[in-house]
Amino acid sequence: MKAKNRLLLVIALITMALLLVACGGETATPTPEPPAEEPTAAPEEPTAAPEEQPAEEATEAPAEMVEGTPYKIGFVAAITGPGSSLGVPERNTAQMLAEQWKDGIIGPDGVHHDVEVIILDSESNPDTAASAVSRLINEEQVDVLVAGTLSGNSLAMVPLATEAQVPMISMASARSIIQDPETGETRAWIFKTPQENGHSARWQAEYLKNLGVSTVCYLYENSGYGQDTLANGEAAFSEAGIEIVYSDTFERTDTEFPQMSSVQSSGCEAVVVGAIPPGASMVMVALRDFVPDLPVLQGHGVCNSTFIELAPEAVEGTPLPCGRLLVASDLPDDDPQKPVLLKYIEDYTSFTNGEPVSTFGGHAYDALLWAHEALSSLEDGMSLAERRAAVRDYIENNIKDWPGTGGVFNITPEDHLGLEYTGLTFVKVENGQFVYFPPEQW
Amino acid sequence: MAEQRKLWIKRVVNVGVPLLLVALVFYLGNQKGFTWQQYAQLVVDGVRGGAIYALIALGFVTVYNVTGIINFAQGAFVMLGAMLAATVYELPLPFGDGWRLVVAFVTAVLLTTLVGVLIERLTIYPARHSTPLTLIIITVGVYIAIQGIALLVWGTNALSFPAFTTLGTVDKTIRVGGVVLKAQSFWIWGTTAVILVLLAWFFDRTMLGKGLRACAINRQAARLMGISTHRMSMLSFALAAALGAIGGIVLAPVTRPIYDMGLRLGLKGFVAAIMGGLVSSPAAVLGGLLLGVVENVAAGVTKSGIKDIFAFIILILILLFRPQGILSKAQETEKV
Repeated sequence: MKAKNRLLLVIALITMALLLVACGGETATPTPEPPAEEPTAAPEEPTAAPEEQPAEEATEAPAEMVEGTPYKIGFVAAITGPGSSLGVPERNTAQMLAEQWKDGIIGPDGVHHDVEVIILDSESNPDTAASAVSRLINEEQVDVLVAGTLSGNSLAMVPLATEAQVPMISMASARSIIQDPETGETRAWIFKTPQENGHSARWQAEYLKNLGVSTVCYLYENSGYGQDTLANGEAAFSEAGIEIVYSDTFERTDTEFPQMSSVQSSGCEAVVVGAIPPGASMVMVALRDFVPDLPVLQGHGVCNSTFIELAPEAVEGTPLPCGRLLVASDLPDDDPQKPVLLKYIEDYTSFTNGEPVSTFGGHAYDALLWAHEALSSLEDGMSLAERRAAVRDYIENNIKDWPGTGGVFNITPEDHLGLEYTGLTFVKVENGQFVYFPPEQW
Repeated sequence: MAEQRKLWIKRVVNVGVPLLLVALVFYLGNQKGFTWQQYAQLVVDGVRGGAIYALIALGFVTVYNVTGIINFAQGAFVMLGAMLAATVYELPLPFGDGWRLVVAFVTAVLLTTLVGVLIERLTIYPARHSTPLTLIIITVGVYIAIQGIALLVWGTNALSFPAFTTLGTVDKTIRVGGVVLKAQSFWIWGTTAVILVLLAWFFDRTMLGKGLRACAINRQAARLMGISTHRMSMLSFALAAALGAIGGIVLAPVTRPIYDMGLRLGLKGFVAAIMGGLVSSPAAVLGGLLLGVVENVAAGVTKSGIKDIFAFIILILILLFRPQGILSKAQETEKV
């Protein structure tokens, strides 16, 4: 009996360790995809015959067309693992642009450069992400990095890029990627393209103010993303005079929602949810059962079709802030982003044979276009370190009034994202679709 | 005299501690302004979650009784049942929605059972001479492998499976004095009850069931009586897989099946099985229901974010103070 008890205790410890590992982060989930060192997607090989093609295109002196140093863009995304629903559209976008850039770049001095996009998989794992980035910096000697699907992965790469003085553009949303949360200093070498939870919270506050609501309940997913939405929500709502009277977490795979009892008894006038699908959809189902009359707002973590597909009836009518990509065709014609968005959607769907676009692919698109534009501005004959520094300076100083898929960017030395909260727009779910829902219609 | 004092202390603890905990629940609930309606809701939801834990716990108990192994791959069976059912349901089969649901249910249970048999044959049987601890670690490995395969096959997106009553994503809702009841909850409770009756019949009335029980009571003697313990081991895995799959499928409409749903459910089922002393099916069911209620009520009156903590506090307390389970008396172990 005693020996058996000890065995059971050991087993109990194992189970708890398992659960902790499972909760501790996506990192522990095994991804049985073997190639850790191999790029999962073979980059385009533009080296083949670059000289003949530009001969016709080069405008003035085709005969003296000079071949410059080839440029390399290092690209790391979470192509496998739990982040793959974000990483795959990013990878597709990178492949699409590599295809579009196969003729290379002609610099301001008329010198032609090949452009290579080297795509590596982070497997949604910070360790793999870090080793991929070291490899790109040291072995491949890339000029610029577009790296990091998930915030945790990006943060693992930040010190490497900073130390090696390589400009890095992240595709993940956390503010701490570009700004040291302790000192508040902007990280000189790091940029990012996605909008932030702060922007989302600002929109929610505006909408709630318009509804005349003064108390809200906040339900968020037990994850880094969920906690960040709450922190931003608290800040933005208190500024707008809205009080969070009850806040609680839920798990992605929860089936019962004991939070509903507290929502009912707290007497809040609206509910704000900070989560991603499927949790965000399931909590909507529970909210519609228990508090059918309360308005419910979601954040921009649910701006994809999965959110609607998982519970079409429950999410109908939900207002939320989202990137403009999802409602591109509804936008007014004078919207500066509209042409960019329509071009991206058309290019992406034809490149992938009809896959729907996602905002994550859009983040990769913006980041890669910055890198490309910066490389196009370089004169030939610079050393690798000079090129890296020049790319950084170009992005910091020249991305002004720059319409991308994520908003109109205005990068400054202090702000390496360069978006106002209006980088997001406001939408609602109508007939199972996201439709444009600007403040004029509230 | 000392004996009697000890007995009294035990009685006071046995009655006093639960009363104190109930009082604490009401105190915390009243702080939040709960009415009886909220308490009732928390209990009803808890019983629903608990019924699922009970089904999973039955799988643990079956395998443990026959083989002495704690099968951590049990959670994977739950996930496979739900994922396979959702996948089969989406196939363009030439029947109405109702029949497709039946086909999906049956196919998913059969396939998962097959997976259970394969796991036993491929991983447990070759290592049958190892210690139980080795075998348990093997099942942990099997769980991780299955989850990895599920990730490759289905990706990270959740699937959806229709509610049994409406055959749509929206379930019928019944309101009894402000308490919300889902039609699917009745399916879950009904399934658990039917399974319990079937299991009782199987173990009491059929030759196979009796063979399983014989193995559980004494493997050596069972083998001497001409019962193949290897076949019984395989059968127990098949049964556990089927039970897990059924649990997963009836649960699927109230959640959205996803590749990693098995871990949490498997561990909760394990706690429920431990609460029942790991050897008794009725006690495991009771353990599951109790766990579901305690967990949900405790989470409701405190913070829902710490829901899992309660399950594991219960686990540790049970292992420390009542390793024989909540029902049976010390030393007396009733099997199956």
